[in-house]
Amino acid sequence: MNITRRQTLAGLASTMLLPALSGTAFAQAANFRIGALNPITGSGAAYGSGMQKMILAAAEVVNAAGGAAGKKLEVFAEDDQSQPQAAVLAAKKLIDVNKVQSILGTWASGVSLAVAPLTNDANIMLMNTSGAPALSVPPANAKGLLFRFQATNDRFGRAFAEVAKKEGFKRPVTMAFNNASGIGNADGFKKAWEAQGGKVYESIVYEPNQPSYRAELQKALAAKPDVIVMGSYLADTTIILREWFQTGETTKFIMPAWAGNPDLVKALGPEVSEGIIAVDSISNEGSEAFKAYDAAYQKAMGQSGLNNVYAAMTWDMVIVLALAMEAAGPNADVPAIAKKMFEVAGPGGKPVATFAEGKEALKSGKIDYQGASSVLDFDKFGDVTPDFSVSVAEKGKIERKYVVKLSA
Amino acid sequence: MSGFLELAISGLMSGLVIGLAALALTLVFGVARFANAATGDFMTIGAYAAVFGFTATGSIVIGGLLGLFIGAVSGVISYFLVFRVLEGRPSVSALLASIGVGFIIRSVLGVIYGHGQQVFQLPLVRPWRYFDVRIQPNDLKIGATALLALLVVFLVLHATPIGRRMRAVADDPMLARVSGIAPRKVMFALWAMSGAVAALAGVLLGIRTVIWPEMGWEMLIPVFAAAVLGGIGHPVGAVLAGVILGVVQEIATPYVGFTYKLALAFIILLVVLLVRPKGLFGRVEGVR
Repeated sequence: MNITRRQTLAGLASTMLLPALSGTAFAQAANFRIGALNPITGSGAAYGSGMQKMILAAAEVVNAAGGAAGKKLEVFAEDDQSQPQAAVLAAKKLIDVNKVQSILGTWASGVSLAVAPLTNDANIMLMNTSGAPALSVPPANAKGLLFRFQATNDRFGRAFAEVAKKEGFKRPVTMAFNNASGIGNADGFKKAWEAQGGKVYESIVYEPNQPSYRAELQKALAAKPDVIVMGSYLADTTIILREWFQTGETTKFIMPAWAGNPDLVKALGPEVSEGIIAVDSISNEGSEAFKAYDAAYQKAMGQSGLNNVYAAMTWDMVIVLALAMEAAGPNADVPAIAKKMFEVAGPGGKPVATFAEGKEALKSGKIDYQGASSVLDFDKFGDVTPDFSVSVAEKGKIERKYVVKLSA
Repeated sequence: MSGFLELAISGLMSGLVIGLAALALTLVFGVARFANAATGDFMTIGAYAAVFGFTATGSIVIGGLLGLFIGAVSGVISYFLVFRVLEGRPSVSALLASIGVGFIIRSVLGVIYGHGQQVFQLPLVRPWRYFDVRIQPNDLKIGATALLALLVVFLVLHATPIGRRMRAVADDPMLARVSGIAPRKVMFALWAMSGAVAALAGVLLGIRTVIWPEMGWEMLIPVFAAAVLGGIGHPVGAVLAGVILGVVQEIATPYVGFTYKLALAFIILLVVLLVRPKGLFGRVEGVR
């Protein structure tokens, strides 16, 4: 048989086109398609698997209760590798090949910011657990299709201010890693602290990957602070605290828990880490929804749901999405469902804790889903206000001391 | 004033690390005639090997020596497998290949050790005070080690037969060859030395900061700046330029802003190159 190059090309082209055609046909089917885009590997690897499993588990719960708005949820899972490049490729695949109608569970701010333009173009929702303030506003949130289940860095800053007040600090200084998250934390603290009538005596922004941070530290310490509020990450915090200890000063530190964690205490040793205050957002512990999530998490991961705040967030993503679908009705498109997200989770309705309960209650009026991750009242930017835990390092161990609640 | 002095000391330490790495870069450039972008990754290998040795034996000296040894071996292996094959090709192919070598090193380290950080669990000590200036004992040790290493490198270059041959090849490869200098042996010695010097820079950086697979790669830009500033291919120049960059960055940034640290390195570079296009110590090379 003689096949010309042209015939070969035509043949190849048609095989490439076929799945695309059938894909469009499938998209009309009765399932609602969800993309689970989680940090299975990379810097978020400690959380990613649990996040993905909770999306799958919550989808099962919804499907077992008869689905939402007459549709079953179908989950397509991908690894975003905690990296924007890999995340964009995976999101493209989810959108173009799997035809997903929402992407759930991006973790790193850089990843969420990179994926947002793609989901916006496709007119689908992106639910994330990132902190960067830029995710609240256009261009990232140009269409109101972004929902954030984690506290913004700004709210972290407010929590820092609450802690600083409670601990009786008078002369704070901030040190921030030069990116959206680090500066967001420091600025959030400054705004909230000054609103309380306080003064921030020095604000320092530093570059990553420096062989030394002594000049930065010296400037911070020159203001004679009693506490240094950090918007930082693990590596730079390790270097800065080691250098700080070697200056002989006795300042205290308040930092986010992704910097002030057991790894930091291990790297610094008990003497240097003594008294470090780490602040983290926490789940809506003690709520009915948290119990349901916790049971599912124990079953899937073999450990307590307290170990993964982000998995509680992805659990809530699926439940709220399903409730919003139910409220919007069977023929609603994704933007219409997005509008209902505010309604089913917002205050004013009948409090519910599970999908089945919410589905039933929707028949008779408004509902207010009280989530496992927080009470989940989205503000107009699609952001929530969780509670915060305050942990202190003592004798080489970092343990929770108390909880701080912010007004929304 | 005391603060100023403390910053200068701190800058000197950073500068010695940058200078050592720039020395490793410039050694290769002088003889093999290309900019080795994997220099930073040899630093990383050295730091990981040293941490391994330190954890196993509890001795930072043994750990450091292991780091140097593994750095030297990595240099020789990369020459044997990659750069030897590319000899005689345009230098850009060797440059590109070195970027690839760096990628491989980072990926392998990432697979073995993960992307989390490691630290040398060395005791942190409070500083000594002399006339209100805080001196950190660890700084003195790091400085002494770096100076000792520089002394050894310059002794090898200027007082041994292999060093003389290296300088001959650096001066004029053709002339060296017709004078009966076997290039292969010179290259092995060169790569071993460059690898070990880079590894030492990595170990010192690792002691001062944290160790992770990208640590050396992230240092590459100031290292390149120092090598160019010193007059590329000139060992003394590279070290001095590294120290100058380190000190100026540390002293000036409190006034111009910390986010401009790297930019400042390039402003110095720019000014020096405008006044002295050959760098501090370099010679203007004719077209060969």
